[in-house]
Amino acid sequence: MTMEKIPFEKIKEAFSKVVENLEKNRQYLNDLDSPIGDSDHGESVCNAFQKVKEAVDKFPADRRDIGALLQEAGKAIIFSGGAAMGPLYGTAFMDAGKAVVGKEELNKEDVLAMWKAFAQGIQRRGQVQPGEKTMYDTIYPSLQAMEKAFSEGKSLQEMLQEAIKAAKAGMESTKDMLSKRGRSSRLGERSIGHIDPGAASSYFIIEAFFGSLIE
Amino acid sequence: MKKFINSPQNLIEEMLEGFVAANSNKVRRLETERVLVRKDAPVQGKVGIVTGGGSGHKPAFIGYIGKGLVDAVAVGDIFAAPPVQRAYEAIKAANGGKGVLLCIGNYSGDIMNFGMAKELAEAEGIPVETVVVNDDVASSPKERMDNRRGVAGEVILWKIAGALAEEGADLQKLKEVGERAVFNTRSMGVAHTPCVLPTTGKPSFEIGEDEMEIGVGHHGEPGIQRTKMMSADEVSELLTLKVIEDLPFKSGDEVVVLINGLGSTSLLEMYICFRKVNQILADHNIKVHRTYVGEFFTSLEMGGFSVTLTKLDDELKRLIDAPCDGVHFIQH
Repeated sequence: MTMEKIPFEKIKEAFSKVVENLEKNRQYLNDLDSPIGDSDHGESVCNAFQKVKEAVDKFPADRRDIGALLQEAGKAIIFSGGAAMGPLYGTAFMDAGKAVVGKEELNKEDVLAMWKAFAQGIQRRGQVQPGEKTMYDTIYPSLQAMEKAFSEGKSLQEMLQEAIKAAKAGMESTKDMLSKRGRSSRLGERSIGHIDPGAASSYFIIEAFFGSLIE
Repeated sequence: MKKFINSPQNLIEEMLEGFVAANSNKVRRLETERVLVRKDAPVQGKVGIVTGGGSGHKPAFIGYIGKGLVDAVAVGDIFAAPPVQRAYEAIKAANGGKGVLLCIGNYSGDIMNFGMAKELAEAEGIPVETVVVNDDVASSPKERMDNRRGVAGEVILWKIAGALAEEGADLQKLKEVGERAVFNTRSMGVAHTPCVLPTTGKPSFEIGEDEMEIGVGHHGEPGIQRTKMMSADEVSELLTLKVIEDLPFKSGDEVVVLINGLGSTSLLEMYICFRKVNQILADHNIKVHRTYVGEFFTSLEMGGFSVTLTKLDDELKRLIDAPCDGVHFIQH
């Protein structure tokens, strides 16, 4: 299907797909967290996104503001998320929402602006750089890929597809990285050889969120 | 997994229900959030002491609620930082008009969630300062102390900050003395058996029957070395010498010693270990002013213990000696 704009309903629906995808991978995320953390990343992230879904479901049916919806999602994570991922994902969704506030549908520019704000939110809150073995190593390459596709004049669908592809590669690249952030950073060399659980949850979010927009 | 629980989903709620019911003379729960406070909170004219973090460290954090200790605790899920809203409600509930001192461990989740809560509280006009505990010498080299974990040393901070707040000190003074207490506190732990996470049914790490992990974190984070099991004397010596050389603690120093069981190590073993720690301190001419041996900051039922030393000056000595009346920490 070719499309030029993403309507409000699609974004709302995307959150359900995100929850489904995270739930499907709950145990896998716990397992990834086990050698380098305390094996609960799947629990934390699934519980937080359940709250997001509740907030999204409660969003007034007659209000079609995508920015406001994303901000509600962000607030739900910040207020109820906890762990490190709470403030990180929460800030990212809040910032993404601010970038597209008042919009009932998103065109290519809007999607790019939204995703850029999301990535910058993670960066700002976590004070993180690429290559530190975090969720940012999934998110940043996906933004770069989206920017590239946009500048090459590719379609919205292609932009999202390439963002997903780059996110996956980014997630996988964390396997060989030395952790420089969070609890796992204290492991030094022993952090190498495992995909970062935050990078993985970010991929599952991107895969489901962007994936459902181009379905 | 063998545990007396009903369901993994409800275990924290049910634990808190039991805790509050059993200790209703000292604590109450906020209606709005998963926050426990001193029964008489907020205490007017006193700086509020707020802490919190993941659950699974009993008696920390909620066992330290009480006079001369902590005013409010934001309770997270098992080993996970509490969310912003909860930390924010804890700050508000502890503020008796003189502001709040946040005492938290150096974990990115706690730093971010409490940091955002601090911003919200400050926007409402509540002054908030933070002391971050980073006493675990095994978790990063000394040049990168700001990357070190906070472990059992948090107990020392609560005791000292709690006593000082009870004396009526202001927020700036509390931050200054709190940071001094943290700087002079160093810890290191060992574990030979993981805990099983009640939420997932999985052990926190895997380790051989005859092995132990030196420098382990109190969520089961890997340490600096995995070795064959050692005797009580050998492992006590190893931990104590590492802690001594880190500050370094010197001849003539006076210290508090905290031997902290991580959950399933018996008091019998801990006293055997303290015996050796005490001998080593005597050999170094380090004077033991006060000793705590027991379970102060556990990792569910992990097998192992940690050694914490705090170097005292006259002020810290007065504060560590002050009485307190916490749920699980009473001192006359």
